Amino acid sequence: MKKGSAELLILSVIENGQRHGYEIARQIELRSRGAISFHVASLYPMLYRLEARGLIEGRWVEKAGQRRRRYYRLTTNGHVTLAAQRSLWREFFVGLNRVAGLRNA
Amino acid sequence: MSGPDWRGLVRARLDRITDDPAHDEDIVEELAQHLVQRYAEYLDRGQDQRAAVRNALGELDDTDGLAAALRSAAPRGPVAPQPPIVGGAPSMWNDLGQDIRYGARILLRSRGFASAAVLTLALGIGATTAIFSVVNAVLLRPVPFTGLDRLTVVWQTDRNTGTVREPSSLPDFLDVKERSRQFDGFGGFDASERTLTPLEGEPSRLPVLLVTHDLIPLFGVRPILGRVFTAEEDVPGGPELALISERLWEQQFQRAQDVVGRTIRLNDVETEIIGVLPADSDFGIMQILRSAAYARGFADRDLRSRVDVWISLRGDTRVLVRDTHPLLVAGRLAPSATVSTAQAEMTTIMADLEAQYPSNDARGVFVEAMGDVVFSSVRGPLWILLAAVGLVLLIACVNVANLLLARGTTRLREVAVRAAMGAPLRRLVRQFAAENLVLALASAALGVVFAAVALRGLVALAPADIPRVTEVRIDGVVLALAAAVALMTGLVFGIVPALQARRLDVQGALKAEESRGSTAGRERGTLRSILVVSEVALAVVLVIGAGLLIKSAWRLSHVDAGFLAASVLKAEVQLPSSRYRSRSDQFPNFVSVHRFNDELLRRLAGLPGVEAAAVVGNHPVDPGFQNSWQVVGREEEARTWPEIAIRRVGPTYFETVRLTVSTGRSFSDTDGPLAPTVSIINETTARRFFPGQDPVGQEIRFWGVNRRIVGVVRDEKILGLSREAPPAVYVPFAQAPSNNGSETFLVRSSAPLATIATSLRAAVRELDPQLAVFGIQPLTQTVAESVARERFVMLLLVSFAGVAVVLAAIGIHGVLSYAVVQRRHELGIRMALGAPAVRVTGLVLRQGALLTAVGLVIGLAGALALTRVLTTQLYGVSATDLTAFAAVVPLLGIVALVATWLPARQAVRTDPLEAMRDG
Repeated sequence: MKKGSAELLILSVIENGQRHGYEIARQIELRSRGAISFHVASLYPMLYRLEARGLIEGRWVEKAGQRRRRYYRLTTNGHVTLAAQRSLWREFFVGLNRVAGLRNA
Repeated sequence: MSGPDWRGLVRARLDRITDDPAHDEDIVEELAQHLVQRYAEYLDRGQDQRAAVRNALGELDDTDGLAAALRSAAPRGPVAPQPPIVGGAPSMWNDLGQDIRYGARILLRSRGFASAAVLTLALGIGATTAIFSVVNAVLLRPVPFTGLDRLTVVWQTDRNTGTVREPSSLPDFLDVKERSRQFDGFGGFDASERTLTPLEGEPSRLPVLLVTHDLIPLFGVRPILGRVFTAEEDVPGGPELALISERLWEQQFQRAQDVVGRTIRLNDVETEIIGVLPADSDFGIMQILRSAAYARGFADRDLRSRVDVWISLRGDTRVLVRDTHPLLVAGRLAPSATVSTAQAEMTTIMADLEAQYPSNDARGVFVEAMGDVVFSSVRGPLWILLAAVGLVLLIACVNVANLLLARGTTRLREVAVRAAMGAPLRRLVRQFAAENLVLALASAALGVVFAAVALRGLVALAPADIPRVTEVRIDGVVLALAAAVALMTGLVFGIVPALQARRLDVQGALKAEESRGSTAGRERGTLRSILVVSEVALAVVLVIGAGLLIKSAWRLSHVDAGFLAASVLKAEVQLPSSRYRSRSDQFPNFVSVHRFNDELLRRLAGLPGVEAAAVVGNHPVDPGFQNSWQVVGREEEARTWPEIAIRRVGPTYFETVRLTVSTGRSFSDTDGPLAPTVSIINETTARRFFPGQDPVGQEIRFWGVNRRIVGVVRDEKILGLSREAPPAVYVPFAQAPSNNGSETFLVRSSAPLATIATSLRAAVRELDPQLAVFGIQPLTQTVAESVARERFVMLLLVSFAGVAVVLAAIGIHGVLSYAVVQRRHELGIRMALGAPAVRVTGLVLRQGALLTAVGLVIGLAGALALTRVLTTQLYGVSATDLTAFAAVVPLLGIVALVATWLPARQAVRTDPLEAMRDG
């Protein structure tokens, strides 16, 4: 995977609402139809790094009758970064397509 | 559903992730939750349990790599839990609750910090609360009398002696009452004692107030039961009636409602009870008595006396003549009058009386607000103590501020990130405020516990002349104040780091985490240094104050009192006049009295270990009474002489208290009731009234009797250790009038005084089973109680200074330890380059020395300005005493050195390689 793609994936799946770690991994698996999967060993260090960089924010949430869970959501910085990454990746794909003719492969 | 213990499985694979166990716990919890769901997912897909567990655990992969990856990704240092989100519309209270819960969690996470801060603050709050409780109960609480501000004490003055607080004579009282227009009313009282003989049990001595009928209504005191005295009853030969205190009612009658009309036996006289007065009806009485030049009654015996019985005075002007001054007078100002208009009017009245009656020669008047009389002796010391304890609280706050600043540094990143992510300043400040609120409340709670413990000791130690000291307790007002102090402390010092952090830009803050010597870091370092310097300065002020008081107390304890109190037991009895007749026509041959004394002394002298025993009118630090006097042949001259203290002593007195006879002879058994009357004067009398003459052989005259001077003795400090000895004359006990039968016995013994006390009680019981022995204690204790206030103020100030020094040491230690950690990199390089350990130690020591030195200088200057308030509390020491000021330098120097030494050692132990790698 291209450097930074994992970041894009994670930011994307929490773009419209907060999710906990398992949901994030599950969403990526579902949306990629199983093509991409994250294991604990790679997912969480990534989440923590994104958090330390201020792109996402993790919070322990307590709901009545349930164990507390840590939910992640995008910060303002995260939204800005996601938008920037999208356009970068879009350009990258366009270039890739032009060179390798991926779309019609 | 959840299957195996996922937390345990995760934990087993990730031994230690970060440096913070609590943070590790969170990571483990998060990963475990993930695996729980994965496991469920695998089961859903039809995998068997073992396969599901194996596959889920497979996600942890290479555990070494995972721990390292998590560590590098996780923020360095403890990570604060994030404020939780609670479902539903966020309301302010909801948020506040969250913030507080979050604050409590944060504090639980950093137990070291929290316990240091809470303990420090609790110490400060506890001490302040305890002292404020005393101030509140004694000075600030409403008094039980109505309109205390309109009440005055009307003293007489004596221009000859220069005394301004003398009691009045009964005729003067009656004249003043009739002539004055500036007063709404007057009341008079005379302090006395009675032996209460209960139906069952031992007889005991009770403090009794002989009052004019108008005194109790004048104070605005109403009986709980029954009535007060009427004017008709307050006449010579009136009925034997008594009002009793609530305490006595409880103790003797178990609060029986039918107590009115029953009788108690006082000095062998059946006395009818007409009412019960509420517990605090004797408010101020002790202070008025203690202020009086004489006629202080039970106030001289037991400083904690509470009045138990009020008896109608029934004053007879034929007995209480104009030159007898037993009566303390209180007056209530008329609505239009002030203390000064009342003083002016009374001066005129007294001048008229002086012109009218020769015995009123040189007598004037001093109208003093009763509030001043009651509170003046304690106001100074109490405010001083409150100020001192305030300094301790201030130091505690400085220490906590220091801790918070140090913590602020480690939390800088958290704050900066949150600020960058758009957390509004309001929210951040509130977050920090909530955290510190929790801190403050915990400190306040612990502080109140400390205060309760301290208060018990304080009240036990407190000098007895503090009004209402027995009523001291922690009440609502005090609690509210403690909470307010805690809150202020928390808010002020807690928010500072939030604001400070907020000022920095995100980038700078994030970078500051990595690079030392940033502007922000240095700024904070400076702020902390300033705090430590002020802490040292405050401690210096307290230590100097304490030093002055210690020196003063030392001076007092080494003062030459003239008598030797060690190994002397004091005991008192009162011989009731019904059985021990002292009729004036037999004066001074009171056979039954002398028989009792001689027999008791004979038995005491026979006890093992007893070296000497004596009967006296007053013990050596009891001022007793004084009288006008003359030297025979110099009557004219003597008109302007001050009164002389008259000491009735048995012949063995001088030997018992080791009072030296400087010229002439001592008394002997031959100076009996029928022998020629003799006297002995003290050196002050000899010096002032017989300059250049030999007083021995001359005659002095008082109480209508000439007494030949047979000797001169050294001065005894009968007015208290801190005051000069007044002129005094000693007369043989056998040749003196009986003072209402009150006698004191002094026994010098090499045997334990407790044993002597037991034997003495037994001896008295054998001689007269109905007599009460009271005031039985070592004479050293009596002397100590006479300087109780000085000792109390000293002990408290010394303990405050001690706490201050410890806190300052903690402060110095904290700042330097932190500095050493910050300079690890630099120190590491220095050592790697071959700097000797001594040099590195020196660097740290120099920093500590600088902080201490600056603090010392500022503190010394502050002390110079502040110790002046102690002047009235000092004996034989000036408020700018050089030794006290000089002693603080080595003391704090050594403490600071120790506090600096530990961080310095730590600096040397830094491993250069490690320090540089970390950098």
